[in-house]
Amino acid sequence: MSRVRGVGAAGIGREVSRRNFLKTAAWAGAALSAAGIGGVGFATRYAGAQEGGGAPFETYQGLGDAAILQFAYQLELLEGTFYQMGADMGTVSGNALAQVEAIRDHEFAHADALAATLQQLGAEVPATPEFTYPDGVFEDPASFLDLANTFEPVGIGAYQGAAPALESKEILGAALSIHNSECEHWNGIKILLGIDPPNNVAFEEALPLPQVQEAVAPFGLG
Amino acid sequence: MVNQKIEVPSFGAFEKPHSRRNFLKTLAAASIGAAAGGMMLSRPANAQLGEINDDIDIANFALTLEFLEAEFYTLAVDSGVLSGSALGVVTNLRDHEIAHAEAIIGLIEQFGGTPVEKPEFTFPPESLASQQGVLELASVLEPTGQGAYIGAGPLIQDPTVLAAAGSIAGVEGEHVVSVRNLLGFVPPTTEAFPQALTVDEVLAAVAPFLGMGEMMDTGGPTAGGPHRAV
Repeated sequence: MSRVRGVGAAGIGREVSRRNFLKTAAWAGAALSAAGIGGVGFATRYAGAQEGGGAPFETYQGLGDAAILQFAYQLELLEGTFYQMGADMGTVSGNALAQVEAIRDHEFAHADALAATLQQLGAEVPATPEFTYPDGVFEDPASFLDLANTFEPVGIGAYQGAAPALESKEILGAALSIHNSECEHWNGIKILLGIDPPNNVAFEEALPLPQVQEAVAPFGLG
Repeated sequence: MVNQKIEVPSFGAFEKPHSRRNFLKTLAAASIGAAAGGMMLSRPANAQLGEINDDIDIANFALTLEFLEAEFYTLAVDSGVLSGSALGVVTNLRDHEIAHAEAIIGLIEQFGGTPVEKPEFTFPPESLASQQGVLELASVLEPTGQGAYIGAGPLIQDPTVLAAAGSIAGVEGEHVVSVRNLLGFVPPTTEAFPQALTVDEVLAAVAPFLGMGEMMDTGGPTAGGPHRAV
């Protein structure tokens, strides 16, 4: 078990339920599949409407910009710390390491931008959570990239779901740029995984807040 | 704006010339509010926002970009110069842009608007003469589409339209990376904050493919289009 507070501080932590992790991974896989891998099912999904319910953005409405940014900030730290660990522990090398380091830097740049915005809003910048990552994930490049392949669509879905709920147009502009960076990351990870062609969805999928929360809960967020 | 209903676009061949005037009108409508207000948003949280465009105008602007991309990739796949991973990537680019165009047409009609016609496009012969040529033009088109969506997003009023735009915008970002990877950039993913483009910057980038050299002078900061660091 890898449990870390802040950047790169590995420690021994509580067990994360492997079942929860698998559940999360399975859920993310289902989301990806629904998002259009295989080329079907996306045509009516572009607006994000869900069967029997409202659009994902409705689950973020009423939170307020600060709360959305606080959540996004923690998501960025979850991702950034994950990539930092992978880089520090030699999980990947060569071109993969160069890509992972770039993505790590982006996630922390996103976190910094979000923290600065929160300060401008007079809102609290959340403390860095104590993250927990699955056993062995930093010892096995394939597991590491698989988890990255789970994290990135969650980040994409969170920003995409939250964007229409943001009140400030300036913050929305920044969020759209960060969202796009996450999409670039996902493509970069798919390239490292050997998925060919890596550009395999026609529409990115927005995620409702409860699904994002469920996805990241096993890692110590929320 | 065109007053006739458009069919789901067929990209196999150039359709009957024209609608260029209509396209210009649409662009003008789209650029008035946006350029005046400063469509350059993002580069994080550094926005100036003035007048807001009608969502239909923004959607038609996006539709024209999707037409442009879809037609280029259709020609590229049909050209026979692509093979291996490049053929797979560009085939998906084509299919995605066609799906985007169809989705935008549906959205415009859902909101009571009229989709613009597909303009007549021209592409430099060298862009379709080799795999490298295809990828190099793709590396111009994709950041243009990406930047246009990021720039336009904060001008969109209806959350459903914004949700649709976000879903498409991110795909353009993925495209940017897939194309960079084929061009040999290591790592292909390089941007913490993909850049928003102004309407003028988008116009400058696409004008050559519309035979609209004169459109380069739009009264705004054209600066030769989105030559982005990669």
